[in-house]
Amino acid sequence: MDLVLQLLFTGIGIGAVYALVALGFVLIFRATNVVNFAQGEFSMVAAFLMVVFAVDLEWPYWLSFLIAIGGMALLGALFNLGVYYPLRHRTYLPVIISTIGASIFLANSTLALYGPQPQVLSPVFETQGFLVGPVFLDSQYLLIIAVTAVLVAFQYWFFEHTLIGKKLQATSQDKEMAALLGIPVAGMIMLTFVYSAVLGGIAGILVAPVLFVSIQMGATIALKAFAATIIGGFGDVTGAIIGGLALGIIETFGAAYVSVPYKDAFAFIVLVAFLVLRPQGLFGERIAEKA
Amino acid sequence: MRTTRRVFLGGAASAVIGGMAGPGVIRSACAQGAASTVRIGMVLPVTGPGADAGRFALNGAKLALEQVNKAGGVLGKPLEIVTEDDLTTNPGAVLAFSKLASQSDLVGFLGSIRSTQNHAMAPDILKTGKPVCFGGTDPVLTQMGNPWLFRFRPNDSYSARVIADFGVTTLAKKKWAIIHSTDAFGTSGAKALTEALGKAGATIALDQGYTNQSQDFTPVVLAIRQSGADVIGSYFTFENDLGIFARQLRQLGVTVPWVGSPSIVNVTALKLAGPSLFGTYGVADYAEESSDAARNFGKAYRAATKIAPDNQSSWTFDAVTVLALAINKAGKTDPQAIREALLAVRGHEGAEGTYNFDKNGDGLHGYNVVKNDKGNIVFDKRIDFYQG
Repeated sequence: MDLVLQLLFTGIGIGAVYALVALGFVLIFRATNVVNFAQGEFSMVAAFLMVVFAVDLEWPYWLSFLIAIGGMALLGALFNLGVYYPLRHRTYLPVIISTIGASIFLANSTLALYGPQPQVLSPVFETQGFLVGPVFLDSQYLLIIAVTAVLVAFQYWFFEHTLIGKKLQATSQDKEMAALLGIPVAGMIMLTFVYSAVLGGIAGILVAPVLFVSIQMGATIALKAFAATIIGGFGDVTGAIIGGLALGIIETFGAAYVSVPYKDAFAFIVLVAFLVLRPQGLFGERIAEKA
Repeated sequence: MRTTRRVFLGGAASAVIGGMAGPGVIRSACAQGAASTVRIGMVLPVTGPGADAGRFALNGAKLALEQVNKAGGVLGKPLEIVTEDDLTTNPGAVLAFSKLASQSDLVGFLGSIRSTQNHAMAPDILKTGKPVCFGGTDPVLTQMGNPWLFRFRPNDSYSARVIADFGVTTLAKKKWAIIHSTDAFGTSGAKALTEALGKAGATIALDQGYTNQSQDFTPVVLAIRQSGADVIGSYFTFENDLGIFARQLRQLGVTVPWVGSPSIVNVTALKLAGPSLFGTYGVADYAEESSDAARNFGKAYRAATKIAPDNQSSWTFDAVTVLALAINKAGKTDPQAIREALLAVRGHEGAEGTYNFDKNGDGLHGYNVVKNDKGNIVFDKRIDFYQG
């Protein structure tokens, strides 16, 4: 039982990270109908910004966090202007290729500017965690789970109970109709990119003390988050959360009870199973219904 | 306007990506040009998860290059190194080696520190027919009949024997958990350790592989805890994996002694894992206090780079030094003559140890045992198996 509880806690902690990044995938997909393959790099860039300000310059953690998040908002806006906006009237394929190019560009730019060495970012809390009975609760994982819960609640309130949230939803459902109703579609998409970059950034900063800060960290997280998005249902916020948490738990238990080397395989076996048996995911709508 | 922006973005991207991954030529101050130099190729990770190791490898090679050229160069000409990025992948390594091998004036090469990449390049190395000095420690690499492979680090049959000997004899631990990467390096290391422990009369309570770039080791740590092992032996390929494992090991209350392969004392691992590695033991091919040659290399390396030396830089330092020595001994750049000169190297004091090449192409035959004393790597002893 102790083992199960420890694995469950770890699985939820990792799953929460996948869920945060998956949320960014979903928001951009809803707004633009394309997958942003640079979403993981948003996490990596934010983590490096934290290293620059909190570690290298030794500025206060909270100030570094605010600067990093501000930087991510700016990056999201520039990303929209440089990667999506020029191709907005094309089909989805050029945009996807453009985001892949941007992902490579961000990774290599960071490598060129900062160098290849992995970096250490201290956790927010000095204590590593504490024991509840036989289960060790890592303080950083607790923070990740708490922040994910808060962001999900915020997102629900924002999309369901604010005018701007409803405008964003209208834009994601039908851009032409939204424009006819006077909604500034370009502005809404810009806002989506900014928010997604911030979300990715928060995920990166939260996970950095656990996984270390490296050029590859974004790609590692994004691959799993992408799988979580498909499992949950592309375009569905609840699905991204459930998909992320489910993936974290499945791979942790799979590693413990079946095989550690095949840990990653469990996530992708589930992914393939969903693509074959339920391509719309847990909460996604059927394409025919959307049309 | 759109075209201009696209051209700008494309150009900027190309500049960054090209700048990072493109080939490079390393000359020391006295080198003048390709026509008047002797050139060797070097495959190294400039991008990907091994890029940090690539930087250290290049530092070591450059330091040796400076010293070789200061001492008169090779065959009276300055030595020059041409580099190619292997992307830290097997296909990348094969492509990088192919690019270098297509340059007919390159007289020898430095391969990878990663066994899996050397395995991937081995068929092309055989076809090219020129000496390749490498740092991968899978014993099989020098036992598969490829006459052009020369190892500049002791192989894992030695590291396994030293880990087993130290753990069983010195620490008096008999119930082992072996944790290893599932790549060629980790698998061969674990196999060699299992054999060595069997001969030493120890039992294997757990043999647990993991895939590189794992994000969580909780199941592995819990398995160690459940196995009842009283000591851990490990073969980690990447330092970030080692760092995550070390932290989770301590968090989940596992305090048994840990004797690791050389990555446990790498500069990057020490930085990432910090106090989680305090009190651990490692077998290290490079230990600064193990010999005068190691001390001299350490001093020169610190002066040149302002960072601590480790095996990632010491093996390339030795490889460039010994390759230059062999070419000078051969008196010509004929591949077969260089090969014979390398095989004839005896008693060369390098940073990694004393080089005595055997018929397979293994230059070193022992390891140092070191301890992590609150972040300082303290030399304990050297165990050498060379019998002349």
